[in-house]
Amino acid sequence: MGLFDSAPRVLIAATVLRLVLLVYGGWQDANSAVKYTDIDYMVFTDAARYVSKGESPYARDTYRYTPLLAWMLLPTAWEGPAPWSTLTFAFGKALFGLADVLAGWLVVQLLRQCYAFPAERALRYVAAIWLWNPMVANISTRGSSEGLLGVLVAALLWATLTQRAILAGVILGLAVHFKIYPFIYGVSILWWWDAQRDGAPPATKTGIFARITGFVTASRVKLTMAALVTFVVLNLVMYIQHGMPFLHHTFLHHLTRIDHRHNFSPYSTLLYLTSADVVTFHFETVAFLPQLLLAVVALPLVLAKKSLATAMLAQTFAFVTFNKVCTSQYFIWYLILLPFYLPSSSLIRKPTLGISAAIFWVLGQALWLSQGYNLEFLGLSSFVPGLFLASVFFFSVNVWILGIIVNDGGASEDGNDQVQIK
Amino acid sequence: MKRRITFIQRPDAPFEADQAALTSKSLTIRNLDAAREDRITFGLDDLPQELRDVLQQSHELRFRWTTERSYDAVAPFASRVSPGLHIHYTPLAAEQSSEALCSLLRTVFSTGEGQEYGVDCLKPEDTFITPPLLSTRFAASASLQFYTQLPSLQPLVDFIKKSACSQRKVGDTECNERAASLLTADTVDIDYDSISHALTVSTIWANAPSGGWTEDIQKPSSGADQVEFGLLGTELGLEPQEIKMGGLLAVVGQDKKMKPTMFSFPSRHHPLPKEAGYTVSFSTPTGLHPTMAISISKAALERPPAPSDATCALHTYLTLPSSVFGDQYQLGTTDPLFLESHNLAALRAVSGETDLEAPDWAVERWGSNWLFELATWSPDPAQSNFTATIPLHLRYLDPSESGYQTANVPWPVAFWACTAEDGTKMGVNPFDRTNLGWDGLFGPRTMFYQLHPESEHLIESVEVPVLKLTGQGMFKAKNIELGTCVAILLGFLWVLWRLVRVAWSSGISSEKRPVRSDGHDKKD
Repeated sequence: MGLFDSAPRVLIAATVLRLVLLVYGGWQDANSAVKYTDIDYMVFTDAARYVSKGESPYARDTYRYTPLLAWMLLPTAWEGPAPWSTLTFAFGKALFGLADVLAGWLVVQLLRQCYAFPAERALRYVAAIWLWNPMVANISTRGSSEGLLGVLVAALLWATLTQRAILAGVILGLAVHFKIYPFIYGVSILWWWDAQRDGAPPATKTGIFARITGFVTASRVKLTMAALVTFVVLNLVMYIQHGMPFLHHTFLHHLTRIDHRHNFSPYSTLLYLTSADVVTFHFETVAFLPQLLLAVVALPLVLAKKSLATAMLAQTFAFVTFNKVCTSQYFIWYLILLPFYLPSSSLIRKPTLGISAAIFWVLGQALWLSQGYNLEFLGLSSFVPGLFLASVFFFSVNVWILGIIVNDGGASEDGNDQVQIK
Repeated sequence: MKRRITFIQRPDAPFEADQAALTSKSLTIRNLDAAREDRITFGLDDLPQELRDVLQQSHELRFRWTTERSYDAVAPFASRVSPGLHIHYTPLAAEQSSEALCSLLRTVFSTGEGQEYGVDCLKPEDTFITPPLLSTRFAASASLQFYTQLPSLQPLVDFIKKSACSQRKVGDTECNERAASLLTADTVDIDYDSISHALTVSTIWANAPSGGWTEDIQKPSSGADQVEFGLLGTELGLEPQEIKMGGLLAVVGQDKKMKPTMFSFPSRHHPLPKEAGYTVSFSTPTGLHPTMAISISKAALERPPAPSDATCALHTYLTLPSSVFGDQYQLGTTDPLFLESHNLAALRAVSGETDLEAPDWAVERWGSNWLFELATWSPDPAQSNFTATIPLHLRYLDPSESGYQTANVPWPVAFWACTAEDGTKMGVNPFDRTNLGWDGLFGPRTMFYQLHPESEHLIESVEVPVLKLTGQGMFKAKNIELGTCVAILLGFLWVLWRLVRVAWSSGISSEKRPVRSDGHDKKD
């Protein structure tokens, strides 16, 4: 007992877990032809090497990130004798792991400050979902950059709930520059941050004009300007540095991509047909409509003011579920927001519901993965009906769970939005 | 027009003096058991207009075709390329668009209906690939390269019969016969360059037809033409890099008697003993990530008989159609663990289509070439075989009714490359063969010792799972489309309905309730 009494203990344990995985990963890389390190990490470090030689990170095929990432990983390009090179190579992974721990710490702080969780309860949830989650630790120590998104989203939520408008804007701009999708959070944060949050009395005037002017508050303006300036400045700097390749690989690629290899998305089979020019009616061209209507309009509008974190979780869930491409790394995107939602959710309150949701989700994954295995490794033509039905089933499970989150978000009574800094 | 006919007899092949008889008008051979090379040199004026037009815009244009059947590559014809048609092309002016070449290729190599094989090319700039250059100063390779599988030269034969033979006033029967003889050839090389302004067609038959070669070779009707004849045997040269040849030579219609001869020359290409072979296979199931296994016999692992101070290394050169590709970052690694586990020493060169994601229909270039050095220092003496493995990947191919498509991969060539002494003049070899694609990746003074592919058919077929597209039934394309559409719409409406219920019951603004110290989780 007492393990969850102290934040340092939980954080140190999380750090040790990552350190152990780092050392193990280094050992496996050095001793096995099957590498622990993620392919993406090789892409980042190759790009960092190009940058260190004064070349463009986009000289590396499939580098589809902001040059910031390659700059951050510059130390991995330092050449040195054997023990040094192993250490410098692991620099990025250590950075991603640290970002994980920092994200977890921020979530703990938020749960205690804004959700009035006792320390032990906050630590317990964050440890179970994020800090001690072997999947999260594994992903960052293998060298996937998704962990950085975790810390950015946690920081964004922290800055918002503690009402630091400019800081929140800067983080938002940075996060969108990094990975586009966090722009959906901008909408819910803006909607959430009404005059009452800033301490104004409840609005009494109801005229249209009054509502519009009432909408424009100092905080909202500050946040929007900070986000826009950060985003524009970052992109401008990158564009001046790297020109079209930067725009193409970081942003435009997502509009023009042709590599619709099988993935969890329900659109996957349709996109194969479309890309091979078999179908005539191009439904996929309007795929962004249901996705963005939910993630950017309906979910923030209905949920943000009731519970911001739950709204953001629902947005992320909707964005990933309705996306044209969906791979397992996207699941990490909503994991960081779960500690805010799960403790008061009906999934925990009603164990049957929670366990069934977990079982169906895992079942959806298992069905899809078995079909994927048949295709990828056994060479069986399992696109239709196997993968098609599996992805539609997985989609249905996700939609059902999203419905539950929406319901819970609506019934949210935890008053988390009442900031209690002291 | 100049024609050179060379027969190469194995030392143990029978030969009687009367099997080759020379008169003032012709040369007659009977039942001759020998490998044969016909080399015909055309001036530009001898050629059909459409061909001439393309050649006049070319700096160099070379074709290397090899049969898919296995054949013996004997000295001095020891070199090999992967089965199929390889084209090496350098336009006269770099900026010149040359749709004419593609349209000529489509005409010459079109297989007619179905188009299972043939040249799928609109513009060389888009379809051809650029080989890596060792040095632009001494460019040993053409600037553009193309490959396609081509099991038979029937289209070319038809083209020659139609365009060249039918225009002749006399000798069209002989023309037709000679064109048809290409069908049994093992390799055909066609070379043009803007310096010589001549087109050379070299055809090799590694083995005599059953009963041997029997032919009446006539003195050319025009004085400008010439027919040279050689009946030769090979033996080891004095120097390890040399080949010695001896036998009889004659110019038909000029010489009264065949002249005995003996000469030797340094050779770029050398055969290895018959036991030095290799086989190629894909381990099943191939999945979407087939691994090519190249098994090399023990005899082939021995260092070739190059001079003792030469540096030698075993190589393999892959020609992959666009449906199959390698990951240059995976294969180009210097990680010794990965390389050792695949018995590779290093990826030495790669060119062509190496996109890691694009489906086949989004790829314009024909495919890619890969040169690997194999790790021959590691074989375990207890092991009987040495196998190098090369992990590859498949692109998405078009949907099909069966749910499968076939990717045909020609066998790679395998050879030892050894350095030769400075000053070795490979070019003096009357049978020298260059521009094979892989030879240009080595220095000009390199000797190659060829391994023998051991199979009847030198193409591996990989089954590629694709989307199964049925015209009817539950999972026809229309229903997939509709199904996706309905699923997304239902999912969307479900979430929307949930949101409407929430908004209906509690509005969209926050509920101002007192903060509780504990949430709802009473079980905690």
